[in-house]
Amino acid sequence: MTTLAPTSSSTAAPPLPPTPRRIGAPLRPRDFGWADAGILAASLLSSFLLVWVVFYQVTLLSGIFGFLLCWYAAFLALYWVVTTQVVDRQAATDRTATVVVVTGAFLVLGIVAFIVGWVTWKGVGHLHTNLFVKDMSHFVPADRNVLHQIGVLHAIVGTVEQVGIAAAIGVPVAVTTAVFLNEVGGRGTRIVRTVVTAMSGLPSIVAGVFVYSILVETSVSRYSGLLASLALFILILPSVTRTTEEVLRIVPGGLREASLALGASEFRTVWSVVLPTARSGMITASLLGIAIAVGETAPLIFTSFGNNNMNVNPFHGAQAALPLVLYDFVRQPQGALIDLAYATAFILLALVLILFVLARVLGRQRSTSGALRARLRSLFRPSARSGGSENPSPVGGRAGRPPLEILTVSPNPKEPLLP
Amino acid sequence: MTLTATNDRNTVSDVQPTPGTGAAGLVAREVCAWFSGRLVLEGVTLAMPRSTVTALIGPSGCGKSTFLRILNRMHELVPGAQLAGSVELDGTDIYAGRLRATDTRRNIGMVFQKPNPFPAMSIYDNVLSGLKFSRISVSDRDALVEVSLTKAGLWNEVKNRMRELGGALSGGQQQRLCIARALAVEPRVLLMDEPCSALDPTSTARIEQTIADIADEVTVVIVTHNMQQAQRVSDVCAFFLAAENEPGRIIEAGPTDVIFGSPTDERTSDYVHGRFG
Repeated sequence: MTTLAPTSSSTAAPPLPPTPRRIGAPLRPRDFGWADAGILAASLLSSFLLVWVVFYQVTLLSGIFGFLLCWYAAFLALYWVVTTQVVDRQAATDRTATVVVVTGAFLVLGIVAFIVGWVTWKGVGHLHTNLFVKDMSHFVPADRNVLHQIGVLHAIVGTVEQVGIAAAIGVPVAVTTAVFLNEVGGRGTRIVRTVVTAMSGLPSIVAGVFVYSILVETSVSRYSGLLASLALFILILPSVTRTTEEVLRIVPGGLREASLALGASEFRTVWSVVLPTARSGMITASLLGIAIAVGETAPLIFTSFGNNNMNVNPFHGAQAALPLVLYDFVRQPQGALIDLAYATAFILLALVLILFVLARVLGRQRSTSGALRARLRSLFRPSARSGGSENPSPVGGRAGRPPLEILTVSPNPKEPLLP
Repeated sequence: MTLTATNDRNTVSDVQPTPGTGAAGLVAREVCAWFSGRLVLEGVTLAMPRSTVTALIGPSGCGKSTFLRILNRMHELVPGAQLAGSVELDGTDIYAGRLRATDTRRNIGMVFQKPNPFPAMSIYDNVLSGLKFSRISVSDRDALVEVSLTKAGLWNEVKNRMRELGGALSGGQQQRLCIARALAVEPRVLLMDEPCSALDPTSTARIEQTIADIADEVTVVIVTHNMQQAQRVSDVCAFFLAAENEPGRIIEAGPTDVIFGSPTDERTSDYVHGRFG
């Protein structure tokens, strides 16, 4: 439309600029103005009133959750209808869908923020240095001054050891399984994948009972931290395996071919090309597994059993763990112990957070050779970080994305042209 | 089926101990290939003489790439792939079992259509990756990196950014990095599967220059859809064609100027003059 402007008069002379046309206001099809906000607010309000009348006054229902759900449904319907009338059908569908997606996202965000915020709010006030230096050997539940008598150091040690051992066994086994599923393949693949999938549905208490009945009941072993690690290992294995497999799957096949074409064996290809490329995603996978293990309570009851005294040795004797202590505290009638439970829960959350940050820091380093060395060097000597070795790509991204982001870097504008 | 390239066989028949050094001739005899039981390539016999550039041309789906991948045993990595015939590297059949697949591939390197530098490695490590995989130790790594990158025409552009990731380069630079990586293990033959099809004309020109530069020390076999490119870079040319529902065959092979100037087969003439395909 814009191309057909020339008139027959401008044949020889250089074409004069056409008479300035009136330029319309720029169209922004997805604009959301005051009027639209008004529609949104009005829909919210009127659906609220409508549902309130119908829900509480007409049908005599009760309960806040039912009301909220009905309000939400009525709001969506009303919002769609009104927008259809005021704007058009397409915009109505678009905006209603946006509302659904946004509320979904905020719901999840809100729940997580609420849990973390609540625990922090209730727990931080009761944090006490004793918590980190004492165990519960002088634990007298009725003692009013209990906060100054006991700590949960023994549980922190227990959790770190049990989860550490579980991860130390679980992650290599899971990665090996994932490599088998994705890189080796063959006839066993399907059955292994089915078993792994079935395992991920295993209730955690069953894992605990399993270890208990195999090892404790048969008097092979006594309660110990190691048994808890075994139960946790069973629990994290399927999750880490499946996530790692997904991560390996998105490593481009071209890299494997490139490696093989250079004369690498299949083992070298997996070891030197596939795994380093998928490293960041695999760290995320391991983290998810560890996060599962840190919070498990049920399997520990049958395996590490719990202990009020410090037991540093995970291979012998009952051992405490943060979730177990938390479970003990929260069942006590004293308010002081409930407060202590919140403090313990906060420590547990902080522990998970520290693990996540640690893994992120390790995962961001790009090169496999000397990754840790370089990272340490840059920590001690900040100037070393700016030596052009900074990773330009966001490796610490979501699970399974990083390698691709490196691969598809856009052409470098600085590339010189041919002479 | 016309076979005009077989007269070159005498150049490759004087047997050298394999793996040796320097450019080597490659001879394929009666090569057939199947994917899941379907014949896709039939009776391909072609000599790729030492220190020459051989171009494989032909329309899509006529088996050029499959043939190329048979030359360094990459074909067998595809599930369901089978083959028949023999491929001789300076007289040694790479499928006879005396040579391991990894050794074969180290001697017969490959550059792919899509640039595929290892994203987790720096430019420096990318060049040395082949040696690392094969556990070959080199006395002077820096020199080898420089030589390889210089051969690939990339040294001047990256000499100050050796520690950056290979993926940070542009597409054309990445492809030249892949060529440098393939050259670093000193292959005797270099196979190139449409190495320029994803690149702009400038990068293409650089890579064609690279091919001309390295042809002395390594035999090059290149698959290309670009007639002008085949004409520019190659000494020998083989025209592949697959009729409908038939496997691919070599229609005509011979010196490039003959294939492009006075081909004997009418289909070759039609193809190189752009009348079909």
